[in-house]
Amino acid sequence: MKPITYNTKNWFVRPAMLMLCLFLLNGIILGQDSSGNEQTPVAVKKIKPEKNTFGSIWIIDNQTVMVPIKGTFEMDIMHRFGTIKNGYKDFLGFFAPSNIRLGFEYVPINNLMVGFSITKANMTWEGYGKYAIIKQTKSKYPVSVTYFGDISLDTRGKDNFVHYSDRLMYFNQLIIARKITPKFSAQVSPSLTHVNIVDGYYYEPGKYRGTMNHEHFAIALAGRYKIKENMGIIVNYDQPITKHRSNNPSPNISFGLEVTTSAHAFQFFMGNYSFITPQRNNYYNRNNFKDGQFLIGFNITRMWNY
Amino acid sequence: MKLRYYASALVVLIVIFATGFTFRMQEKKPWPVPDKYKSMKNQVASDAESIAAGKALWSTHCKSCHGVKGQGDGPKAAQLKTEPGDFSKASEQVQSDGSLFYKTSEGRDDMPSFKKKIPDQDDIWSIVNYVRTLKK
Ligand code: HEC
Repeated sequence: MKPITYNTKNWFVRPAMLMLCLFLLNGIILGQDSSGNEQTPVAVKKIKPEKNTFGSIWIIDNQTVMVPIKGTFEMDIMHRFGTIKNGYKDFLGFFAPSNIRLGFEYVPINNLMVGFSITKANMTWEGYGKYAIIKQTKSKYPVSVTYFGDISLDTRGKDNFVHYSDRLMYFNQLIIARKITPKFSAQVSPSLTHVNIVDGYYYEPGKYRGTMNHEHFAIALAGRYKIKENMGIIVNYDQPITKHRSNNPSPNISFGLEVTTSAHAFQFFMGNYSFITPQRNNYYNRNNFKDGQFLIGFNITRMWNY
Repeated sequence: MKLRYYASALVVLIVIFATGFTFRMQEKKPWPVPDKYKSMKNQVASDAESIAAGKALWSTHCKSCHGVKGQGDGPKAAQLKTEPGDFSKASEQVQSDGSLFYKTSEGRDDMPSFKKKIPDQDDIWSIVNYVRTLKK
């Protein structure tokens, strides 16, 4: 049976709308306890948002709630090696073909980060934005909330696509995090991936349908525990939620170590995701932890402040 | 093609030599602080919370040069052209909070300016509070 493909005009609209509703709702609920006594006497300690909930804008394969301070320029270099299954043959995947991503981010105004990147897998270009909607404070907001949106463009040769729009995938994510203690932070991030084109098949002569839905809902849980002032253990788990007819993506378990300095963050870890592009990871991951399909990866970020 | 390799190798060598010869410690020169800063009062009370915040910032931003205990012996110290000073000594600690605040914010030569990287002034005051704890 030859897989055929079909296309929808649905695009960005549906996922974006849902996310918008979600975070507006959040704003309303969380905003309610701001009773109008703003003119507190000067002697009272200023209430400030929690800082450094995480050590980087990344936690392994997901974005963290963090948006760097205004004027920050950042460069990311990320690697995902082959799976460790071949052992010494390819030195735990180090010498297997690896996936590489180069990313660039800038924070032009307070709370907004914009960026673009190029990833080796499917020659994917991404454009993305991240906006800090709410920041955790001692008394007012229990959590920080950030929105992350990402559009990816598969730039492989023409023969892989029928329509230009087939190259596009969208990712919307709401990141909710709390610095629970000075050492421990946790975050939960529901996400919606939209894929313009899915594989299909004929289920009756002349009638076809997709093996997977165009929309894919997932949730990620992540945490960091600082073992030293500048070193922490990082963990991240991604759970697919949408059930597709077939080709359901596998969840992702990942864990590693993070070291931060004034200008850098290094993350070294093991996990199942290999694509780096979040929508592709969430929708297409085939590495299953039950089969031991783990791979080694690292993220390195460099920040400059202007 | 080959010529290009030689040319770039030469450039690299020149750069290494040029910088190599300047890796020599210079005499400490006086660092004048404007009066406005000298007499500026610390805006943040030196309580446990402020010192903890200062310590976290210190180990992220300052430790690499100034060392864990502020004695000027961090891993990057050997590459500095000027001596970063020794905060465990009374001779450094006689400075006012405002002076430490000013020097940390503005920087000079190898000492980076931190007012962009640490935009919240209260955080710099917290670092000053932490620096006070380094006195022996
Ligand atoms: C890249 C290395 C480097 C880093 C990082 C660094 N410093 Fe410095 N610091 C120096 C050097 C070098 C000097 C001496 C500068 C001079 O005298 O011209 C210095 C001097 C100082 C002085 C003045 C000392 C004196 O003798 O009056 C203060 C205060 C200071 N640093 C605080 C800090 C703080 C606080 C941080 C972190 C937020 C920090 N420094 C990070 C290298 C560094």
